[in-house]
Amino acid sequence: MQDLIVEGTGSIPAIRADWEAGCVVMKGDSYPENAFELYQPVIDWIEAFLAREDRPLRLQLQLLYLNTSSIRAMMDMLDQLQGAFDGGRTVGVEWRYERENERVAELAEEFREDYTFPFDILAHD
Amino acid sequence: MEQVDVLSLRAAFIQQGIMLCFNGPFSAMLIEEIGQALRKHMQGLQESQSAVTDVFSVYIELTQNIRHYTALRGLEGADAHATLIVSRSEDGRYVVSAGNVVLPADGDALVERIAALARLDKAGLKAEYKNQLRQPRDPSAKTGAGLGLIDLARRAYEPLQGSLTALDGGLAFFSLRVVI
Repeated sequence: MQDLIVEGTGSIPAIRADWEAGCVVMKGDSYPENAFELYQPVIDWIEAFLAREDRPLRLQLQLLYLNTSSIRAMMDMLDQLQGAFDGGRTVGVEWRYERENERVAELAEEFREDYTFPFDILAHD
Repeated sequence: MEQVDVLSLRAAFIQQGIMLCFNGPFSAMLIEEIGQALRKHMQGLQESQSAVTDVFSVYIELTQNIRHYTALRGLEGADAHATLIVSRSEDGRYVVSAGNVVLPADGDALVERIAALARLDKAGLKAEYKNQLRQPRDPSAKTGAGLGLIDLARRAYEPLQGSLTALDGGLAFFSLRVVI
């Protein structure tokens, strides 16, 4: 499977899914009008990785503002990770944010409370 | 058409604390451009990151909701226009107001939904939000599954205020005011 690369714009985060590293990185704001158009390839990539590999999968997020349709798509991805985790796989999320950006921490925290896999929310200055 | 009276418009803007105002057809790109300008303007006012995010996100949800709605109902021309106003109240709160043409039945449902959300406290809104997030998604739906309105209510400082006014020709004008 190929790596997946999406160039970020104002309303779209930069996305890089690295098959070799078993890692999906997403950075920036996410408020496209149709979030599923943007995230379906990422959802498909994660599904393929979990099906074909038995290596760990990590999500590294530095997302800032998410509109509600992006939140919904993000939930679908985290559900994929939870399913894999329940099946014994090693998965994890690391969500980094700027300390003064409290809304990001709250958003990440609201996601985290719905899952049981390792989910780190890390503040930086 | 009446001649544009810039001075009286200006007086109305000042009197109502209007910072930003838009009326007309909205494209996805225009939403993004105006949103960025709004963000930069607020950052220039030394507002907290949280305040900037809240106002920006309310602006985005409102305008994208209108775009989705007008597309869903196939409204065209002036009926697909949106009115968007960002203002500051006397006590310094940001107020984002938006309005658009709707089918009266849709408008009634919205006003009812807003009244129902207004009866919920913070915990109730969060529960409603999580519940809505878990509703099965219609694969053809482009929107955040009705999440938008709950998200607005959660970011608002006071309950959302929606109103509906009948227009000539069987349509209605829905407007929503969000105080942040």
